[in-house]
Amino acid sequence: MDDRKTAQTGTQTSCEDRFEELARRRAWSLEMGGQEAIERHHDRGRLTIRERIDQLSDKGSFQEIGRLTGKAEYDEQGRVTHVQPAPYVMGVAEIDGRPVAVGGEDYTVRGGTSWSGLRRKGGQGGFIEDAAHEYRIPLVNLIDGSGGAVTSLESRGYTVFPGVDGFDRSVELMGEVPVVSAVMGTAAGGPAGRAILSHFSVMVRESSQIFAAGPPVVERALGEKLDREELGGSGIAVDTAGTIDNVADSEEDCFRQIRRFLGYMPSNVWELPPVWPTDDPVDRCEDALTSIIPEQRTRPYNMRRLLELVFDDGSLFEIQPTFGKTVITMLGRMNGQSVGIVANNPMVYGGAMDARGARKQTHFVELCDNFHIPLVFVVDIPGFLVGSGAEKAGTLRDGMRAVYAGLKADVPILTLVVRKCFGMAGMGTINKKSLEFKVAWPSGEWGSLPVEGGVKAAYRREIAAADDPAAKEAEIEERLRRLSSPFRSAEAFAVEEIIDPRETRPYIARFIDLARNRLKTCCGQKLKSGVRP
Amino acid sequence: MSSVEVKSEVTGSVWKIGCRVGDTVTRDQELVILESMKMEIPVIAPQDGRIKELLVAEGDSIAEDQTIAVVEVG
Repeated sequence: MDDRKTAQTGTQTSCEDRFEELARRRAWSLEMGGQEAIERHHDRGRLTIRERIDQLSDKGSFQEIGRLTGKAEYDEQGRVTHVQPAPYVMGVAEIDGRPVAVGGEDYTVRGGTSWSGLRRKGGQGGFIEDAAHEYRIPLVNLIDGSGGAVTSLESRGYTVFPGVDGFDRSVELMGEVPVVSAVMGTAAGGPAGRAILSHFSVMVRESSQIFAAGPPVVERALGEKLDREELGGSGIAVDTAGTIDNVADSEEDCFRQIRRFLGYMPSNVWELPPVWPTDDPVDRCEDALTSIIPEQRTRPYNMRRLLELVFDDGSLFEIQPTFGKTVITMLGRMNGQSVGIVANNPMVYGGAMDARGARKQTHFVELCDNFHIPLVFVVDIPGFLVGSGAEKAGTLRDGMRAVYAGLKADVPILTLVVRKCFGMAGMGTINKKSLEFKVAWPSGEWGSLPVEGGVKAAYRREIAAADDPAAKEAEIEERLRRLSSPFRSAEAFAVEEIIDPRETRPYIARFIDLARNRLKTCCGQKLKSGVRP
Repeated sequence: MSSVEVKSEVTGSVWKIGCRVGDTVTRDQELVILESMKMEIPVIAPQDGRIKELLVAEGDSIAEDQTIAVVEVG
């Protein structure tokens, strides 16, 4: 009896020890890299990974996975004395009540460098990627690490072939669930590549940088002496190169943008995007739309203002606003439903598509097509950008890639022509393989090329033979322009409808509502879309 | 007092200049109008300030990202 009691007590004590050890190990994980390292991190104006996850996700919703991973120290009796946590924190959380997988490097532990556990927690091929795939939920990467270091070569004793932590799952996720990458610190190597494999990426102004390799490597390879900001700050990565989509003014702004982006997205490609309630009347007609297009054809106007007047109040979220500025790409809502908006920007090259704008449009159209978000093209495009600079930039190739993406898209597309729609670039705004539904304002004009661009070439002999060639050219232009009235096209049903600009919102909303019927029938993964040119 | 460079977003030529050195300007005011792709593209003041330098003349060819004017702000 006494022996049995002792044994029972012993068992209870052992369990208590284990619970206590679990609690201690959990506490160590919360200490991250230690108070000193956390203070240094804060002094640089940065939040810790745990603070980041808390600010990003709904209060109290974070359920961590892998809290106990790390590098342990033991005493002579084999009792654990401390665990330095693995430099990656991840788990599941909720954003606006919807589940997400979230993870990020802990910079306070060895600068967030790679960790040699049995299984990676995050980054390419990490558990968190598998979790997003398994549970079909969006993935948010909060990137603050520079990947591997050559020091691992010494500890391993041999070199590994590129791809040991492959991007295969990262690529797979691009066709399954929304993936967001936020560059929170300096990202180089693998984490930089991981950031690009996303549907939306954002970085923090003056606090984060991204590059294939940092300043020391660049100086040694090319002799260029640049600091991190000059090499891969937002001025380069966002505004100049378009490597990252958006810049945030602070970490808080970064989390706001991530939450905003995910609000337009379904949780995965097997679902439709959520519909959010709106107080904006669907039949709102704006008088200001009647005067927004200048009478003078050569004057540009504020396309963003036009979009604000049409779509749900406060619903517009611009993707890549500072890159490829000939094209405006926005997520928005119409009567609560997610829509993708591609609009031309007359303030930059009159809205002519340049290579950068084309790249932006291609990615955006594929994003919307992937997640069943109907597209509205708001068109004022004179064609591809011309000139030696445009040719050197490869405008034709990038431009035709945008046209290709548009023609490959299965998602419903509505085309609203507010002024010009010309040439091959204009073709990329129309869903040629489906309904080919084109609505225009009375200010619309279209064709293979603008009249003034083609008269001199097409009527060269007639103009040259005239007593007054300039007057002859003007006369021909005027004659052709009269034939260019949009109403003549409407007579031939070459454009399906011409509407009063004030009717734009209710008109578009009607067809976005109808599009949902079609969208319900085509959820799921897209088949491989061939080889993009 | 700091200065902001006002740059052209397009390749084209200077059609009209609507300000002079020393002028006080307000945000979004048209400073210069460029001609590009047969359109009149305004170059606007990014902030309230005073024109410190005007670096182009009417008829000049302009490259993308070329500085058009310098505005003193603050």
